[in-house]
Amino acid sequence: MSSAVKDVGERLIAFLPNLRRFAISLCGSRDIADDLVQAACERALAGAERFEAGTRFDAWMFRILRNLWIDHVRRQKTAGVQDDISERQDIAGAHGEREAEARLTLKTVAQAIADLPNEQREVLLLVCVEELSYREAADVLGIPIGTIMSRLARARKNLAEAAGITTTTARSQMMKGADE
Amino acid sequence: MTKADFSDEMLMRFADGELDADISAEIERAMEVDEELVSRVALFIETRQAAQTAMKPLLDEPLPPELSAAVERMVAERTSEQDGSSARVLPFRRPAANDWRRNRWLAPIAASLAVVVAGIGGYWLRGGAEPALDGGLHIAGISGSVLDDALAAVVTGEERQLPGSNQRFRAIATFRDNAQTLCREFEVDSADRSTVVSVACRTGAAWRVTFAVVAPGADGGYAPASSAETLDAYLAAIDAGPPLEAAEEAEALTQLRQGPSR
Repeated sequence: MSSAVKDVGERLIAFLPNLRRFAISLCGSRDIADDLVQAACERALAGAERFEAGTRFDAWMFRILRNLWIDHVRRQKTAGVQDDISERQDIAGAHGEREAEARLTLKTVAQAIADLPNEQREVLLLVCVEELSYREAADVLGIPIGTIMSRLARARKNLAEAAGITTTTARSQMMKGADE
Repeated sequence: MTKADFSDEMLMRFADGELDADISAEIERAMEVDEELVSRVALFIETRQAAQTAMKPLLDEPLPPELSAAVERMVAERTSEQDGSSARVLPFRRPAANDWRRNRWLAPIAASLAVVVAGIGGYWLRGGAEPALDGGLHIAGISGSVLDDALAAVVTGEERQLPGSNQRFRAIATFRDNAQTLCREFEVDSADRSTVVSVACRTGAAWRVTFAVVAPGADGGYAPASSAETLDAYLAAIDAGPPLEAAEEAEALTQLRQGPSR
């Protein structure tokens, strides 16, 4: 039992940057994200026994954090607090400023990701950024794998359109596909 | 097979390596002669890469030192707890029923409290118009029947001007103590801006005031936090249950007004 806590603790510390990145992109605020990360770590340590060896630690942590976030959002809704859109945009803007101007398109991509509907953004983050499999993402989000696929496809179509990601051939054809 | 046979989702699964070998091979063959198909697959490959690149700076951001410190402390505490007694299970403490105010109740009693009026025996409040000296309760000069009416009628969160006085009665909460006695927490503001923070419990047909503190009022009514701390300590001592929901309270008060007095 002692080893479970020790094991989870060690992994947690190493995993903090990823967990924080996921939290920031989920909630759009660094302050809330840091609180979320801390709460998720607390929960993970308290439930260290429940982590199954051999399964993905990152997926387990993402699920804990995301559930905390959902709880938070529900409570905010009851309290009538609005999502702070302006702060969310700051986050996308902040990358852009720190990056060289030559990477202007990346700012657009970050912005486009931030602007995706929540349900599309979280799938995109888990699969494309954190490299979870569809099955693992489905477990994190508690939705069927088919829903993962449809949301992920839509997220990428939207992202491509908003950020102007085009492939080398037949853009008009591709866009026809996107309009389906 | 024509290109129309491959849906976006299928091409995405192909690009993500989530498709079985047979269909993957089919798509590969089709891509050899179909540029549009190549382009559609490329979209999914490129969006993945673009998302990764765009989110990379967040990963490279230095962690706030407070966050790392907090988590490291948490890990160290949990680990030493476990090392101390590896057989010990530490269940999460479930909040007790009277924990609804625990965030405040242990706080020290502040010096700003003026007077604690209630004794262990409490005072009795009787309905009707008994003379003031006949054992009726008089919080800051309120006549018993007026208070009795207010306790039976004013729902939590509302206030009323007490008839025949310039005092305002405000119902704060309704709850039951560990003997299931119905109790109400309330405040009365006086004209001199002091506030009486009080608890009355129903005994038989009468309200018995079991707790009262006179606190100098803050602007705009409401007792200052220090009196609430004293009250919280008291509520914890009598093992007060959680506040009744509005519907439960309404039912209890209706019963009170209608029910036989004994």
